Amino acid sequence: MKLPAFLTETRLSWVGLVVRLTLGGVIFVAGALKVTTPYKAAAAMRAYELLPISVANIFGYALPWFEIGLGALLILGVATRLSAFFAGSLMFIFILAIASAWVRGLSIDCGCFGGGGQVAPGETKYLQEILRDFGLTLLAVYLCWQPQTKWALERASR
Amino acid sequence: MVNNKGKSSGDPITRWLVIGMVALVVVVGAGISVFNNTSKKTAVLPSAASIKDGYGIVFNSDLKPVIDIWEDFQCPSCKAFEGTNGDALRALAVEKKAKIVFHPLSFLGPESVYAANGAACAADQGKFLEYHAFMYKNQPAENSGAWSNQGVIATAAAAGVTGAEFEACVNKGKYADWVGNVGSEGSKQNINSTPTVFINGKEVDRASGAYYSAPEFMKLLVAAGIK
Repeated sequence: MKLPAFLTETRLSWVGLVVRLTLGGVIFVAGALKVTTPYKAAAAMRAYELLPISVANIFGYALPWFEIGLGALLILGVATRLSAFFAGSLMFIFILAIASAWVRGLSIDCGCFGGGGQVAPGETKYLQEILRDFGLTLLAVYLCWQPQTKWALERASR
Repeated sequence: MVNNKGKSSGDPITRWLVIGMVALVVVVGAGISVFNNTSKKTAVLPSAASIKDGYGIVFNSDLKPVIDIWEDFQCPSCKAFEGTNGDALRALAVEKKAKIVFHPLSFLGPESVYAANGAACAADQGKFLEYHAFMYKNQPAENSGAWSNQGVIATAAAAGVTGAEFEACVNKGKYADWVGNVGSEGSKQNINSTPTVFINGKEVDRASGAYYSAPEFMKLLVAAGIK
């Protein structure tokens, strides 16, 4: 792809650093906040009513660890394109799950940063949650496109 | 400087070392988390607990109606529920008018585990209800450090739950595995928020207002056959 002249590789790699740390930081924190309260994480997962209870429980227990790992890879800047691909896919799945909860008329908190489960009907924040995850998806897409970033432990291939 | 156009410039050793380490942490962590939250058959149970009642602490096991209370000692809504309906429930337990099953969950993290373990220890002393009421009345901010084992012992002492046996039980986390079993039972039974109350197996509707209105809650109890 032909880039405008002012978007030099050096400048893009600084942009990439900010994107990488933002995306990685958010995912890492999301995982870290949930990892100490596994029952709540499992409850948040069940509250979507998308998976059989036993499966939702296992996903609920395991997801925070997956997020911590993914966030760590992005923060460190290792396998950036692959990590960004997983991060983007994860956000995309979250968007689908939240949207489906909204469409089905459930009243739940997304449980993205801890919390989760049923809330009062007037207290849902589906739109904000989806917009936030959409923004994070865009960051992931950017990193898939430009995985070369400043201060990455590993210099990505293009 | 940034890279050699179109050529892979990755450092494969760093790459795989880091990926490997991160993957190891994720797999081990997730594995432990899943394992920890699965019921353990080896768990020591407090004498009042009943496996067929989801490991809950049972009062008046032969009576009807049956009231199941899923709660977390650290949860502010549970404190509100206890403040509203706690006295009525205690009266039903003491006057033998209903079967009541308490399920202390640990939704909110480690200090909930200490508090729930302490509840089982208090149950062994025949002081569960006293402990239950007093802990809610003196509920600290979530995971503020107040409910370490020492804090649990101090709070319980003020409620009149004392003794070397009780303290030893709290300090060694005698019923920590039981707390885990209550939690995984809650997961299995799809308890998504606290408090969740069932009367004769029927979940009390959150929209009914009964959780935080004593007259509304009493209506449900009367409908279930409480005189």
